Amino acid sequence: MGVVVIVGTAKGAFVLRSSNARQEWKVEGPLFKGWKVTAIARAADGTYLAGTASDVYGPAIQKSSNLRDWRQVEKSPQYPEGGKRKLNQIWSIVPNGKAHYAGVDEAGLFRSIDRGETWEPVTALNEHPTSGAWVPGAGGLCLHSIIVDPRSDRRIWCGISAVGVFRSDDGGETWHAKNEGVPVIVEDKEFKDIGFCVHAIAQDPKQLDTIYRQDHRGMFRSSDRGDRWQRIENGLPSGYGFPLALDPRTRALFSAPLESDEYRIPIEGRFAVYRSRDGGESWHPAAAGLPERNAYFAVLRRALAVDGLDPCGVYCGTTSGTIYASNNCGDRWQAIPCVLPRILTVAAFTEN
Amino acid sequence: MARIRVLLPSVMAAVTQGELEFALDADSVALALATIARERPGIALHLFDESGGFRQHVLCFLNETNTRWLDNLDAPLQDGDTLLFMQAVSGG
Repeated sequence: MGVVVIVGTAKGAFVLRSSNARQEWKVEGPLFKGWKVTAIARAADGTYLAGTASDVYGPAIQKSSNLRDWRQVEKSPQYPEGGKRKLNQIWSIVPNGKAHYAGVDEAGLFRSIDRGETWEPVTALNEHPTSGAWVPGAGGLCLHSIIVDPRSDRRIWCGISAVGVFRSDDGGETWHAKNEGVPVIVEDKEFKDIGFCVHAIAQDPKQLDTIYRQDHRGMFRSSDRGDRWQRIENGLPSGYGFPLALDPRTRALFSAPLESDEYRIPIEGRFAVYRSRDGGESWHPAAAGLPERNAYFAVLRRALAVDGLDPCGVYCGTTSGTIYASNNCGDRWQAIPCVLPRILTVAAFTEN
Repeated sequence: MARIRVLLPSVMAAVTQGELEFALDADSVALALATIARERPGIALHLFDESGGFRQHVLCFLNETNTRWLDNLDAPLQDGDTLLFMQAVSGG
């Protein structure tokens, strides 16, 4: 038994392995040397999927059964030839029972019904009536977050920057913007339900109607599947940040606040992960072992992950290439001894 | 029909399971590119974008000649010719 943490960086992926104690780590890699690794997932059958990209050679999805031997899938997500849209990056891969989903830049959702081998666009979202008015955030116009409701795979949430959250209740046939209660960031002249810059979303594993949202304009929670959002920032030094992770066992939430959208660095050079154990009602620093001074990196939206063990392991990858790991739900952290390229995404899994 | 060699940049080995060279039969550069797109879509994905043309920073050389300098891609091929793909070297 052990844990594998896969770290996707700007120059390849690295595989970090440890026993369940998660004190000593072995670092392997790089996989996909020279390629950005932008999304990582593991399907129920144990197959790993990775989103790779190059500024020169474009994006694709790769599969592996053992993290050593990888094969590019038969047909990665692609926009039609001759169309206006360009596919720049795979932002998110969500394996699901009947269908896998992938979120991409330029913002769109793709679905695979053959376990990730071929992908087709989810046209009702990609060609949503508002899509002509979608505008990018600083990270591009990207569909970066996907949640499929475990109660019904017909309900799906997507987060698009800088557009907002969309929800479908009919398996992707129709989509509705769900941003009420969140301040708009780029107001459109015609469509008042878009122009919101969601950074990350997470579903409460026990109260499944509850969705948490790290937004450009703060931290929010919805208790009605995204219909209305309320601000939950009690104890946070800043509402601004990118990632949001949730321990499925204890429901502890983790965020990595930064100093405002103007600066995007830890506040006063002190980096801290914040944790909420009460569904976002209050937040407290969980920072022992993290740098208390001279820290001026950021944590990107896909770079904070949990492993689901008891106690929960938490993994935080920085833009300066350090990965901090906690084997006790954030009570104490250690830097894993490696210096990697800019960390884009982190995923953690248990291994038999 | 000419038999030519196609050479890919080394960085692509990571996504082609190590394949960096292959042969194909074609009468012209245009037909060679069409053959790659049809028979090797997983490689074509990385060479061509949604416009149907080369990705912005992908260069293609027919032997010593940048194919962008050719009047058109109907340039005939001969046995032993090489199509070399590489990334444009620019920036610091």
